Amino acid sequence: MRLGKTLIPRQARWVALSLGLILTLVGLSAVPGTRAAQKVLYVGITLPLTGADAEDAELIKDGAVLAIEEANAKGGVAGYKIDTIILDSGTATAGQYDPAQAATNTKKLVANIGVVANIGPQMSGEGKAMSAILSEADMATITPSSTNPDITDPKFKDKYRPQGKAVYFRTVTTDAYQGPNMANYFAENLKVRTVYVLDDSGAYGVGIANSFQKRAEEKGVKVLGRDQLNPKEADYTTILTKIKGLNPDALYYGGVEQAGTKLAKQAYDVIPKMIKGGGDGVYSSSLLKGAGFPAVEGWYSTIASPHLNESAELQGWVNRFAKRFGKQPGDYSITAYDAALVVLDAVKRAAAAGKVDRHTVRNAIQNSKVKTLQGTVSFDENGDIKDRTVSVFQILHNPKFPEDDIIHQYKYIGVAPQN
Amino acid sequence: MTLHDVVLQQIINGLSLGAMYSLLALGFTMVYGIIELINFAHFNIFMVGSFIAMFALQFLGLHGQSRLLTGWPLVGALSLGFASTMLASGLLGVAIERIALRPMRNVRGTAAMITTIGVSYILFNIILLTMGAGAQNYPNPLPQVSWHIGGAVLRLREVLLWSVSLILMGVLHIFVQRTKMGKAMRATAQDQEAARMMGIEVDQIVMLTFFIGSALAGAAGLIFGLYYNNTSFLIGYTAGLRAFTAAVLGGIGNIVGAMMGGLIIGLIEALGGQVLQVRWTDVIIFSILIGVLALRPTGLLGLSTPKKS
Repeated sequence: MRLGKTLIPRQARWVALSLGLILTLVGLSAVPGTRAAQKVLYVGITLPLTGADAEDAELIKDGAVLAIEEANAKGGVAGYKIDTIILDSGTATAGQYDPAQAATNTKKLVANIGVVANIGPQMSGEGKAMSAILSEADMATITPSSTNPDITDPKFKDKYRPQGKAVYFRTVTTDAYQGPNMANYFAENLKVRTVYVLDDSGAYGVGIANSFQKRAEEKGVKVLGRDQLNPKEADYTTILTKIKGLNPDALYYGGVEQAGTKLAKQAYDVIPKMIKGGGDGVYSSSLLKGAGFPAVEGWYSTIASPHLNESAELQGWVNRFAKRFGKQPGDYSITAYDAALVVLDAVKRAAAAGKVDRHTVRNAIQNSKVKTLQGTVSFDENGDIKDRTVSVFQILHNPKFPEDDIIHQYKYIGVAPQN
Repeated sequence: MTLHDVVLQQIINGLSLGAMYSLLALGFTMVYGIIELINFAHFNIFMVGSFIAMFALQFLGLHGQSRLLTGWPLVGALSLGFASTMLASGLLGVAIERIALRPMRNVRGTAAMITTIGVSYILFNIILLTMGAGAQNYPNPLPQVSWHIGGAVLRLREVLLWSVSLILMGVLHIFVQRTKMGKAMRATAQDQEAARMMGIEVDQIVMLTFFIGSALAGAAGLIFGLYYNNTSFLIGYTAGLRAFTAAVLGGIGNIVGAMMGGLIIGLIEALGGQVLQVRWTDVIIFSILIGVLALRPTGLLGLSTPKKS
C-alpha cells in the first residue's frame, strides 16, 4: 500500500481513475452497438426539424418513419430490425436549415458503424455540405426533396463525391428539369413573353432560378432582370417597386419559404395582377400560413415528382399516414416513403448476398429497381432518378379546407412540358 | 409606370423604412447618450414588441385579414394597440435594465455590452421556441385606402406610419427639451456625477431612458407588423442593425441625429436598390456609413454631446 502511494503520484491516480471511468462509460454505451451488429441496423434521418422549414421537414420525416415502422411491424427486413437515428439540421442562428449542422450530423452518423444509410436532406444547401463526407465513408443517402443538380452532376465529382461512386440518390428529379420545365410552362401555357427572376441566395434558390432563366431565354422569353433577396431582410418593397416599374408579364422566384412568405405578402400589395410562380420551395404549408389568403392566391409552383396523393390507388396509404400522424401527407411525404422503401429493399438484397454494411447497401441502392408509391424507382450512375416528371400547381383558395392545408389549397394543374 | 413614378414610389418606400429605423435608432442613441452603453437587446425588444402588439390586436378580435375597421373603431383599436404595446415593451426594457444591466453599471470594459447581446439572444430564442419559426400572419384592420400621385401609390398604412412616427418623435423632442424630466436626462447625459450632486436620481433617469427607448421600439414593432402584415422571430436582426447604423451615422447620443440617420438609411436602401440591385443594399449602406465616419468621426450631428471626463 505504502509503496503504491509513493510510486504512483496523486495526479496520475486521478488521471487513471477518470480514464477508467471514461472507458467504462464508453464500454457501456457501446454495448447496444455491439448488439446492433447482430440484430439491429440503423438508418439516419437528417432534416431541418426546427426553423422555418420545420413543418415540411416533419411531413418528410413522417413519410420515412411510416415505411420503416411498417417494415418492423412485419418482422423487420431479412431478420434485422431497423432503427432510425433522427437528427435535426436546423439551427436557431440560421432560423432555417443550416448546412454546417447538416455536415456535423453526417459526421455523427458516419462515425456510428451500425448506420447503413441515411434518408435526407430536405434542402440542397444541406446536401452540398453532406455529400463529400458521405462519399469518403461510402455511405448512401436518399433525398426525397433536394433538387439542386450540381450535387449529382459528374462535372462536380471532385467536390461532391471525391471517391467517385454515387452516394447522393434522389427519389425526386432535379432542378435541371424543375426550373426549365416551369419555364416551358410559362412560355407555352401561360404565354409569358417577359419575366423578372429572383432567388433567395440559397444553393437551391440560385440553382433553380438559373436553370429557369436559361430555358426562358432559349424559349424567347425576355428576362428583364435578375436579383437576389436576403432571406433575413424584412422589406422587399424596393425590389417589387422596381419590378412594377419594368412591368414584366411574370415574376419567377427560386427559393424557399423564409423569403418566399414575405415576398408573396408584399407582392400582393405592389404587383397583385402579375403572374407569379416558383419551384417546390413555394409548395409549402408554412407559406400558406405565414402569407395567408388572399396574398398567396394565384401563385404557381412545381414539385419534382409525379403528383400522386389524390390518386385512387394511393388512398389506402394516405389513410394509413393520416391515422398514424393525425395529419395529411404532402407529396414529399410520398417521396420520403419511397426513399425508405428503397433503403429497406437494398438491405434485403444485401442480406441475401451475404453481407449487410453501408458499402453493400450503397451498391444495392445503386442497382435498385423497386416498386414504390410513385412507380418503379431506379437510378442512373450519378444517383438521379430515371423518372423526370415535374408537376405544376396553382394556389386557389378552397374554403372547405383549412387555409394551410397543402393538399387542398394547391390545385394540381398537370405535368410541365419537357421541351 | 414611368421612371419618374418609380423613383417617387421608391422615395415613399424609403421614407417608410426610414421612419421605422428612426424610431428604433432613438432607443440606441438615448441609452448610449445616458450611460454610454450600446444596447443590443434593443434589436429584439423591437421584435418582441411586434409580437405583443399582435397579441393585443388578436385580443381585440382581429385575426389576419378577417376584419377591416374604419373610423372610430380603427382609431380606438390602434390607440389601444399602441398604448399596450408601448407600455409592455417599456416595462420589458426597464426589467432588462434593472435585472441584467444595473449590477454592471460601474464595471469597466465590455461586460455590460456582452450582457445585452446575451439578453438579445434570450428574447430571440424564447420567441422562436414558443411561437415557432414560421412567419406570422399579422392582423390587418386597415382599410385599403390609397391615393395615386401620377403612377405612384400612397397607401393609408404609409400615411399612418409617417404620422405616428412624427408624433412620437415630436413628443419625445418636446419631452427632452422642454420638461423638467427631460432636463434631468440631458444633465445626466452630460455628467452623471454632477447631476447626482444636483439632486437628480440618476438610477431613475436611466430607467426612464430605457422605458422610453423600449416603448418606441415596441411602437416600431407594431408599425412594422401593420406595414408588412407579417412578423417573425428574425425581424430584429436586419432592422436593428440598420437602425443602429442610423444612430451611428447621425452621431450616437444625438436624438435629432438618430431621426435623420434613420431617414437617410431608409432612402439609401430604397434608391440604392432601384439604381443597382437589392443584393448590394448592405454594401451600399455600410460604405456610406464608413465614408461619413471617415470624414466626420462623430457622425453627422455628433458633436452636441460634450466629451465626458
